[in-house]
Amino acid sequence: MTLSQYATLMDTMARLSLKADASRYFFGYVWWVLEPLLYVLVFYVVFELILQNRKEDFVVFLMCGQLAFVWFSKSLNQAARSILGSKGLVGRVDIPKSLFPLATIQEGLYKQAAVFLLLFAVLLAKGYAPSLLWGWLLPVMLVNYLLIVACSLFAAYLVCWVFDFHVFISMATIFLMFTSGVFWDPRDLDPAMTHWVLTLNPLAFLLDAYRQILLAGVAPDAVHLAIVGSIALLVALAGLAVLRRHSRFIALRVITS
Amino acid sequence: MLELVGVSHHYMARKSSFDHGLHHVLDNVSLRVMPGDTLGIVGRNGAGKTTMLRLMAGIIEPRQGVIRRRAGASCALLSLGLGFQDSLSGRDNALISAMLQGVSKRDALASLDAIREFTELGDSFEEPVKTYSSGMRARLGFASGLLTRVDILLIDEVLSVGDAQFRDKALAAMQQRLGGEQTVVFVSHAEGQLKALCDRAVWIEQGQLRAEGSPEEVIALYRQPVAAPR
Repeated sequence: MTLSQYATLMDTMARLSLKADASRYFFGYVWWVLEPLLYVLVFYVVFELILQNRKEDFVVFLMCGQLAFVWFSKSLNQAARSILGSKGLVGRVDIPKSLFPLATIQEGLYKQAAVFLLLFAVLLAKGYAPSLLWGWLLPVMLVNYLLIVACSLFAAYLVCWVFDFHVFISMATIFLMFTSGVFWDPRDLDPAMTHWVLTLNPLAFLLDAYRQILLAGVAPDAVHLAIVGSIALLVALAGLAVLRRHSRFIALRVITS
Repeated sequence: MLELVGVSHHYMARKSSFDHGLHHVLDNVSLRVMPGDTLGIVGRNGAGKTTMLRLMAGIIEPRQGVIRRRAGASCALLSLGLGFQDSLSGRDNALISAMLQGVSKRDALASLDAIREFTELGDSFEEPVKTYSSGMRARLGFASGLLTRVDILLIDEVLSVGDAQFRDKALAAMQQRLGGEQTVVFVSHAEGQLKALCDRAVWIEQGQLRAEGSPEEVIALYRQPVAAPR
């Protein structure tokens, strides 16, 4: 299979799955933006209405973090089960196993494009004017995507190897939701702690980068972004190599699971 | 075209959480398939036939032994029901199926109407596969597999289901393909089909090769233990 065949197949699988998914729900494609918005609503009720958060423009602050976080967490959890969930195809054709997680991530990417457009619309409505600085969003999104791919490829492999890993992955997602500053601002902590949170947790750094660009009007730390991006790229390439090397082992695990 | 040398296969199957059982599926099997051959495989359920086809297709690898395929030979496994994504329509499944065999998207799209026509599914072709009966799935599986060109066609029971009219049509389509260079390995319980299509047959029992020869001889041997139990 050539690279272009691989890419076309991945994209076709993603599009067909989106189409099938939309036809299953009454609200169809509306769910693409409705679901992330409902997540935001839940957090808004808890933190703004019940806990009386005093942060200025909390909804916008929350959306910048939450919408990117949901992209990561949903893609990771769905991709983790994608190979195992395609038992029929895995048992019938010898195909690169990375195709399944990558097609799932591609599906998430299409949905996320709509979600980002919605975010921009809300920002404009709230009076945040777009500037050249918004160009920084592209590398931040790219690194975000690479981080999703890197985590998902290994997650999908581990779930095929030992199914129990999927429990661990959903736990890890919850842990990340609390530690990545989705509904709190790492910059409100004392400076030493802010430094540690942003250094140790690449997701916290990315969520903060979105907010720096969109809300504070400040460019993110380019060196930090490049380091996170390079590590994610290396891990993603390693994940592709592992899935390729263990392709038949994975097939056996999936068929006999 | 395809050769198995001393192939053994077993795997650990989980019986309950803490009890792992070793399943022996194939035990030291050697056989050779020449270009243009049509080889039939007979054996009881669970004898290792499907595993053998999966090994031949390179989907899994044997624990012991070697499987040699002619360099660059393309290979497709047609099996029942498996390989469909239930929420996708018959058309979308056929498209992915063809692309997975290495057909370009444009050619795959172009072949869809022929597939639809062959399956005789009519408007159901546009419906999700989860609404299909097993016979309809078999039609879709056979049509989408047969219309793509591959060097080695591995067929697992696909011709054993469906109504008589479609079976005859599928059989005729197969016979048409068999005339040329098409290499086929064919698993079936339908002895009439095996005799009609194959020029050679093997009998697999408990993972071992029990007999090899003309379909008539092998089927006669295969039926013996049933007629005269030990």
